[in-house]
Amino acid sequence: MIKLTVNGIEHSLDVTADTPLLWVVRDYLNLKGSKFGCGAGLCGACTMHLNGSPIRTCITPIGSVAGQAITTIEGLGNADSLSSVQQAWVEHSVPQCGYCQSGQIMAATALLANNANPSDQDIDNAMSGNICRCGTYPRIKAAIHSVANKDATQRSELFTNIMEAK
Amino acid sequence: MTSFSTKEPTTDSSRRQFLKATGIGTGGLMMTIALPGCATLKNGGISQAGNIEQWDANAWLRIDSDNSIHFVLDRVEMGQGTYTGMTSLLAEELEVDPAAIEVSFAGVDSVYRNTIYGIQITGGSTSVASSWQIVREAGAATRMMLTKAAANTWGIKESECRAENGAVINNASSHKFYQQKITFGQLATIAATYSVPSDIPLKDKADFKVIGKYNKRLDAIQKVMGTADYGIDTDLPGMKYAVFSRAGRWDSQVKSFDDSKVKNMPGVEQVFAIDKPNAVGVAIVANSYWQARQAQKALHVEWHKSELNEVNDASIFKQYKKDLAESRGKNVRSEGDFEQAFEDAKLTISAEYEMPFLAHATLEPQNCTAWAKEEGLEVWAPTQSPDMAQVAAAKATDYSLSDITVHTTFLGGGFGRRINQDFVAEAAAISEVSGQPIKLIWSREEDTQRDWYRPSSYHKLSASIDKDGRISAWNHRMAGSGVFDYFVGDAAPAQYSFAPKFMYGLLESAGKIGEGIIAPADGSIFEGAEALPYDFDNINVDYKKSDSGILVGNWRSVGYSHNGFIVETFIEKLARSPQVKSHNKDSYQFRYDLLNKHPRAQAVLKLAAQKAHWGSPLPGCSQGISIHKSFGTWVAQIADVKIENQQIKVKRIVCVVDCGQVVNPNIVVA
Repeated sequence: MIKLTVNGIEHSLDVTADTPLLWVVRDYLNLKGSKFGCGAGLCGACTMHLNGSPIRTCITPIGSVAGQAITTIEGLGNADSLSSVQQAWVEHSVPQCGYCQSGQIMAATALLANNANPSDQDIDNAMSGNICRCGTYPRIKAAIHSVANKDATQRSELFTNIMEAK
Repeated sequence: MTSFSTKEPTTDSSRRQFLKATGIGTGGLMMTIALPGCATLKNGGISQAGNIEQWDANAWLRIDSDNSIHFVLDRVEMGQGTYTGMTSLLAEELEVDPAAIEVSFAGVDSVYRNTIYGIQITGGSTSVASSWQIVREAGAATRMMLTKAAANTWGIKESECRAENGAVINNASSHKFYQQKITFGQLATIAATYSVPSDIPLKDKADFKVIGKYNKRLDAIQKVMGTADYGIDTDLPGMKYAVFSRAGRWDSQVKSFDDSKVKNMPGVEQVFAIDKPNAVGVAIVANSYWQARQAQKALHVEWHKSELNEVNDASIFKQYKKDLAESRGKNVRSEGDFEQAFEDAKLTISAEYEMPFLAHATLEPQNCTAWAKEEGLEVWAPTQSPDMAQVAAAKATDYSLSDITVHTTFLGGGFGRRINQDFVAEAAAISEVSGQPIKLIWSREEDTQRDWYRPSSYHKLSASIDKDGRISAWNHRMAGSGVFDYFVGDAAPAQYSFAPKFMYGLLESAGKIGEGIIAPADGSIFEGAEALPYDFDNINVDYKKSDSGILVGNWRSVGYSHNGFIVETFIEKLARSPQVKSHNKDSYQFRYDLLNKHPRAQAVLKLAAQKAHWGSPLPGCSQGISIHKSFGTWVAQIADVKIENQQIKVKRIVCVVDCGQVVNPNIVVA
């Protein structure tokens, strides 16, 4: 049995330690928002947070994260209260096919938690491992800047949310 | 997508008589559309009045008494925006907020066929063009009937009512219920008793509230929450996971396989070989995807030798060149006398282009979930062509078309890859043998290795320059595989869905022979070349079909993807050639003057030059310009490019697009 906390809920799972976190979350916990894109940690579609930091879960054996706190896209917001990043994604109509976007949002959320006002270069550095086959990069950048530019109150609120998630 | 470019969308008014309204058992209205002369499949035909369970298979639009509005989207959403665009067309005429409409994806039904292609396919930039009229008519007719129901309720004239935001408002100023409103939901049951009006006037452009104005994406919220269901997210009770080992070459059969090390691996339930059309290999069925994938590493398969020639890029291009040298192939454009012009030429300028195979690399790898039951086969697939998926499943199993239900999901990219239905054939066959519901997932490696690639092609272009330095002739000759041969096997039975299964082989052959006659011509290699917009006296464009034996398929923007590059690169070469004296113009003016028969093109090019400050590049940059028309849309681009640290850096691209009537401006903008 491997223990894991996902979006604040503790699970005990009967899986082999080498099973990638992505497949545990998708197929055992039935949280389908995180996507399989490459299986090699190259595209970012599977991005989740491990203790607040973005990781590539398609190559993360569950054994290596046992007992730790995982946040998935489902842990960010819901239809009634989207997270600031999700809200910005909607306002900028970022998703096209949308398949990469939960990974993009997880990466952007982690970036903003550590850097409240990222430059274009900061965004490139933090997001370059998340591939979008539709090419929504300019909108992703605009959406991230728009979150950064929200007033200080909202920003600290975002911080609080993310720190709580940590 | 493929470029069947011969047929215009069917938008004639005779369609209107096939709108049909019916009441539904629980109260409400359902508007269905049926086309004449089409076979009725199990999922197809005219809706069953009063049977609410049937609606999603074949209805178009349903309004329930609780005021919910349901729209069945007959085109798939793969990022291109049909979900929003088509719903906006309906909302415009119905007079509702697009966001108030609940959208679901259509199953297989001849009703949903693409009017340009004759099969149920999403591609070729045709969705809005082919449904522009019919979806609006469905919305307008429904609004008229709801308005009539309100007028009758109040005892006023229809002209004294106004439909707005999901309700009809009493506009009769002297009436005691003046300014009161009745919701569509309250009116639906009454409206359903009326016959569909014979004359359905559509809104004037000037009155549009949604079309050209609505800027949201209706699928954005579910996509940012991770709740949008893609094919790979399908989950069924008791579902198992499958992986499938395929041969290196697509024609190889399984000789034998050794599963001795596989069978005892954790979670592995079954290992078996399959030999069906578009599904040849060895399947492993396990309790989880990871277990199946791990087990596959221990599987050893012996394959029969491929009967295809051994090829590589060099040998394939050699073959293209040889075939093109030996035969002119098919002439696809001929104006003037190019041979004479070349004979008279003072000089000839030529260039050769070798365009590579390209993999589609949809971010969602190919996958399909299938459940073979006694009463029928159900398939959940991210497919661009549900009716071809149905055919592929029928060919790979003992089920006939009428026993197969296809559920379409969101697509994590399509780009033409999901027009070929091998992933559906495999999943259907695996589930049938396994006797369980299974989800087949391809790895990224498999997805890349077994793609139906954009065909590679070889192009030779020549221009003759006369004694005055004028371009007197343009000759573009090309060779490469045709994609048509690689999907007609599923497309022909989908089109002639009344045909029994034993006729599929015959239909495939007939489809191949009849290309351009009974089936639209395949222009996928030459489109964008044959439509050369530049004004030369003598033009020749030839296409020699030359099959490489590599699987090929449709791809994003199809022929325009390579011909836009080739034509624009060669015209640039001419523009810069010192021998082309009489022109003596810059790259912009050279093109502009040669586009004198295409005012739309000239306008697009001119605006691009203005917006990009043509001639005044960004610091340290050079500018490049190009223009191309694909699928009726003119696009001009000017790029400011520089070299930094020995790398090409694109600093800015100004893109001007004339796509005609815009439905959602925010989806058109990059």
